[in-house]
Amino acid sequence: MKAIKILFAIVVLLLALVPVGAQDVTTVTMWFGEGATLDCWGPIMLEFNDIDPSVQLEIVPQADTWNVTRTAVAGGGGPDIVRTPGPSFVYEMAQAGLILPMDSFSESMGWDGFFFDWALDLGLVDGQLYSLSDELETLLLYYNVDVFEANGWTPPDTMDELNALAEEVAAAGYTVFSHGNASWRPSNEWFVGEYMTQIAGPHNVYKALTGQIPWTDESMVEAMEILDAHMQAGWYGGGIDLYFTNEGTTRRAMFADGTAAMNIEGSWAIRSLGEYFGESGQDWDWVPVPSHDGTDYFTIGMGNTSSINAGSPHPEAAATFLTWYFSPATQGKMLTDCRKGPAPVTISEEVMGELDPRIARVYADLSDASANDRYGYTTWTFWPPKSDVYIYEEVERVWTGEITVMDYLEGLNELFAEELAAGDIPPIPAR
Amino acid sequence: MAVLTQQKPTTMIEKINDETWRRRFLRNVLVPWIFIAPLLLLHIYVVTIPAVQGIYMSMTDWKGVGQNANFIGLDNYRELFFEDESFGKALGNNIIWMIFFLTVPFILALFAATMLSQIKRGGMLYRSILFIPYVLASVVTITIWKNLLNPQRGIGAALDNMLGLEDAFGIAYLGRSETALMSIAFIDNWHFWGFLMILFLAAMQAIPPVLYDAAKIDGANRWDEFRHVTLPGIRPVVLFMFMMVAIWSFLAFDYIFLSTQGGPGGASEVIATLLYKSAFFRFEAGYGAAMGVIISIFAGFIIMIFVTLRRRGWDI
Repeated sequence: MKAIKILFAIVVLLLALVPVGAQDVTTVTMWFGEGATLDCWGPIMLEFNDIDPSVQLEIVPQADTWNVTRTAVAGGGGPDIVRTPGPSFVYEMAQAGLILPMDSFSESMGWDGFFFDWALDLGLVDGQLYSLSDELETLLLYYNVDVFEANGWTPPDTMDELNALAEEVAAAGYTVFSHGNASWRPSNEWFVGEYMTQIAGPHNVYKALTGQIPWTDESMVEAMEILDAHMQAGWYGGGIDLYFTNEGTTRRAMFADGTAAMNIEGSWAIRSLGEYFGESGQDWDWVPVPSHDGTDYFTIGMGNTSSINAGSPHPEAAATFLTWYFSPATQGKMLTDCRKGPAPVTISEEVMGELDPRIARVYADLSDASANDRYGYTTWTFWPPKSDVYIYEEVERVWTGEITVMDYLEGLNELFAEELAAGDIPPIPAR
Repeated sequence: MAVLTQQKPTTMIEKINDETWRRRFLRNVLVPWIFIAPLLLLHIYVVTIPAVQGIYMSMTDWKGVGQNANFIGLDNYRELFFEDESFGKALGNNIIWMIFFLTVPFILALFAATMLSQIKRGGMLYRSILFIPYVLASVVTITIWKNLLNPQRGIGAALDNMLGLEDAFGIAYLGRSETALMSIAFIDNWHFWGFLMILFLAAMQAIPPVLYDAAKIDGANRWDEFRHVTLPGIRPVVLFMFMMVAIWSFLAFDYIFLSTQGGPGGASEVIATLLYKSAFFRFEAGYGAAMGVIISIFAGFIIMIFVTLRRRGWDI
């Protein structure tokens, strides 16, 4: 009798563990880097599960997400949603047939209704849509308001004004730009792309990216020479060797505590500036990175992209999640709650009104620049992979005096020509 | 000839039928193979096949994603040796790295092991202290030393403050082209030499004390003892470690990648970091595979030298 009771209890327990209707639930998987970003983004993304119980999102935390993802996807596995670090990575995966074209989903789910016109074009490979871009980024000139006020300085509008101000800042004993690449060596490329856009002009960069002019064009030479001169003057991080050893935390701290007066960095920096400036009790603001002629150009970059795995057993459910995730409402919530750079979609004015005005201004100005032909190009979004690595690796040889600016640009030109001929250039929106 | 023709010819079938021979065959040939077969199959699956695939991939333009890989013969190797300046520089850095690790840690380890072998009480404490860096994860070691070598708050800056100097010791060791590689080698050596010391110490303790007594009777001083008793006694271990360190020098990766990622300006680039960047950042997996094959060839070459020396009677 006792044995029967135990058996009965086990059967009841097992039945209780079987989820009712579990066979009807479609689970969409997404791999995501562990850490603070996921801590904030994760709960918001999981709100998707409240909409339709039959489609559920599962977020799997992964270290070194991109390398793990591409290895798994190449082996026929991996998550349903494939996130890559940028359009050039999408190109390679699409060519290999590892991700699905999403044109039919875009049409049926109305993605063109909320993405900016040029944004969907960024995901095209051979005329088909393979990815949706996320985390709109641009580079800004941040400045320490307290340091500026104490010295009676005003933020510069042109490159000449920036040069004059930088000399004053250095003479006053401050580090001009709080910088260092010890934590992230590719940060070199922020300045290469930015100086090309602001000095050579975005139209010339566009021409070079489309093969109409070489990278050795005199406008590019001038841009790189000015960047090199700024490096040699020790304006970045307090000297070239310090630039190579300053960690990310060091440079943020030196900007927040007033050791440095300015910082050229991406809009992503906003996420952590509050924390550093909160500790120091000082204040920050930003202006567009000054250009030669004073026009406010904004380089456009994408932090990552999302695609659907070709091996996904339920691509439709994955597309449903993407539609919800990229909707202006979800992006707006992530922007307000996590200060996440939004996808290139139209965020409502109501959401923008809730933001710190300095943050709202970034996206308003960026949107205005993209609508008025004042946008430029970030290297990690628009340059092909080999040229991109060349840009941030080899520029150090210019700064250490091993090669000249012309040597550097000739090397870039040669490599870029190869990639252009091979058709490896990410989509460049026509202007 | 006559004797031969008188013998009964022995065929293979007759041999197999021979009970004794069959037992011997089973015991000496078949059973060992049966025992080793699982390991052998595993080795073929996880080492031999990927190695052969790697060699093939090194002759393709594979991007590391998908299945598209066109056979391009020896183009990758031609580019590596005749066109790619960064590879030549990386190879040079590997050779500098090897020379450093075949000298500095060996001298330190031999010296420390000799000293420690004399200590009768508390020797274990010293050994443990010197061995601790070896068990630290590379990322921990690098983080410690990045802070210690920081030009503004590291040891150098503290020394400058103490001595009233300006930027004499507090320099960016990892941020200067001329010091970056040697600084990382110094850090890696800080972690590594304790391991070498323990190996040498163990080898020294296996030397029969009677040899030292005999040397003393012959009037040998400490240096003579070291030269004529200790060194010959530990020579097989030293030479074996010479071979291993030479091979490991071409595999150097983690300390460099975690500290400078090959910079500044390629000053600390080695083949393994270049390979990683080619395969994973530039989408040139075939090209990276060619670098991997070259590293293997270097390792094979080093092993061949040692095998040759052994055949010539060296005690390795």
